Amino acid sequence: MDKLLEIHDLHAKIGDKEILKGIDLEIKPGEVHAVMGPNGAGKSTLSAVLTGRPDYEVTEGSILYKGQDLLAMSPEERAWAGLFLSFQYPIEIPGVTITAFMKAAVNAKLKAQGKAEMKTGDFLKLMKEKMALVQMKPEFAKREVNVGFSGGEKKRNEIFQMALLDPVLSILDETDSGLDVDALKIVADGVNTLRSPEKSAIIITHYHKLLEYVQPDVVHVLKAGRIVKTGGRELIDAIESQGFDQF
Amino acid sequence: MGHGHYIAPPAGQYRVKAGEKLELQFVVLPGESRDIELGIDLTGPGAEAHIKALYLCKADEKVHFHIVMHHRAPGCKSTQLINGIAGGQAQVHFDGTIVVAPDAQQTEAYQENHNIVLTEEAKVVTKPQLEIYADDVKCSHGATVGQLNADELFYMRSRGIPEAEARTLQMLSFLSPVIPEGREEEIEAAIRSL
Repeated sequence: MDKLLEIHDLHAKIGDKEILKGIDLEIKPGEVHAVMGPNGAGKSTLSAVLTGRPDYEVTEGSILYKGQDLLAMSPEERAWAGLFLSFQYPIEIPGVTITAFMKAAVNAKLKAQGKAEMKTGDFLKLMKEKMALVQMKPEFAKREVNVGFSGGEKKRNEIFQMALLDPVLSILDETDSGLDVDALKIVADGVNTLRSPEKSAIIITHYHKLLEYVQPDVVHVLKAGRIVKTGGRELIDAIESQGFDQF
Repeated sequence: MGHGHYIAPPAGQYRVKAGEKLELQFVVLPGESRDIELGIDLTGPGAEAHIKALYLCKADEKVHFHIVMHHRAPGCKSTQLINGIAGGQAQVHFDGTIVVAPDAQQTEAYQENHNIVLTEEAKVVTKPQLEIYADDVKCSHGATVGQLNADELFYMRSRGIPEAEARTLQMLSFLSPVIPEGREEEIEAAIRSL
C-alpha cells in the first residue's frame, strides 16, 4: 500500500463558521507527521473531522483511508478500521469503569471482524500489560473513566487506550498540553513503543516539547485553515525561534 | 396486573412508627402505564423511610409518581431516589412533597428525581416540593431532566463501541443507583427495547 491517508481539498465548518479551508495531506504507512499551528488554526477541527464528530460538517473535499472513503464511515467503523484519537480533553464517563469501557471497545471490534470475544482472563492480562506501558497503577482498571483523574492521568489513560486498541493511524491532539516533564516522557515513551513500519501517527501540537521525544518524519504548519508549509524537522526549530508569524 | 413487569409493594398509605424502618423499591418497565400514589407518615421518633424507584417507558405509556413524605415526629430520616428514562411519546409526571411538621425537629429528608428523555416527543414534568414547619432540619431535593450526554457518546464511539451499545452503557450507568440487585440483566434488556 502506497498511502495510508489521503486528504484532498478538505473544507469543514462547525455551525456557520468555516474552519478548514482546503487541506491537502498525505501519509504513508510508518510515517509520523506533526501538524503545528497557532490556536484557532483548525488543528482540533482536523482531528474531529478525521474521527467523525457529528457536529462538524465537511462541505468540500475528500478523505481516503486505505483507499476507502473515510467520510462515509461512522465513528465506530473508523475505529474498527484502525483509527484512534487521543482527545485533547478526554471525556469523563461517570458510572462506567475503564475495564467495562475497554472491554466493550475491544469486543465490538472483534465482533465487527467476525471474531469471537476475548476471554475475560485474557483481556484483563492484556489490559494490565498495556497499563504498565504508561505507568498506570492497576487499581485504575476499576475507576470510572477519567472521573477525578488529574490532567496527566487523563492523558496517560488515552495512550493506554491507544496501546490496547492497537490502531493503524493514531491522532494525538495536543496530548502534550498540561503535562509536566515526567508525564510527557511517560506518554512519549508509550507512543514510541507503538511505532512500527506499518503504523502512522499525526501529532497535533502548538509547541515543540513532545516532538523532542517523538521525532516526526514530516512537519506541517497549519494556519487559518490551510497547510501553509510542509517540511522536515528544521521547521520545528524555525517555529521555536520565530513563531508562526513567519509563515 | 398480569404483566409481571412491575415490582413494588402496594402503593397507598404507610405509617412508620418509632424506631421502625421502611424500605420500598419500585421498578416500572416498558409495556404498561403506571400510577404510583404513595403517602408515608413517619409518626414516631427515629422512624425511617427509604424509597428507590426506577422507570423505563416508551410508546404512549404514562408513568405518574405522586409521593408525600410526611415527617410528623422528631429525629426521623427519609431518602428518595427516583431515576428513569422516557422514550417514544411517553409522558412522565413526578410530584414529590416532603412535609416537615412543627414538632419534627432534627429531621433529615432527601429527595432526588433524575430523568432522561430520549426523544423530542417524550415529556417529563417533575415537581419536587418542600414544606418545612420546623427549624432544625436537614432537607434537600433535586430534580433534573436531560438527554444522554453527546460528548460521552462520541468518546465511546471513537473507541469502537457501536452507538446503540454506547447508549445502553450510558443508560445503565445512569440507572445503576436504583437497579435492584440481581435484576441487572432484565433492566438491560428493557433498556435495549426502548
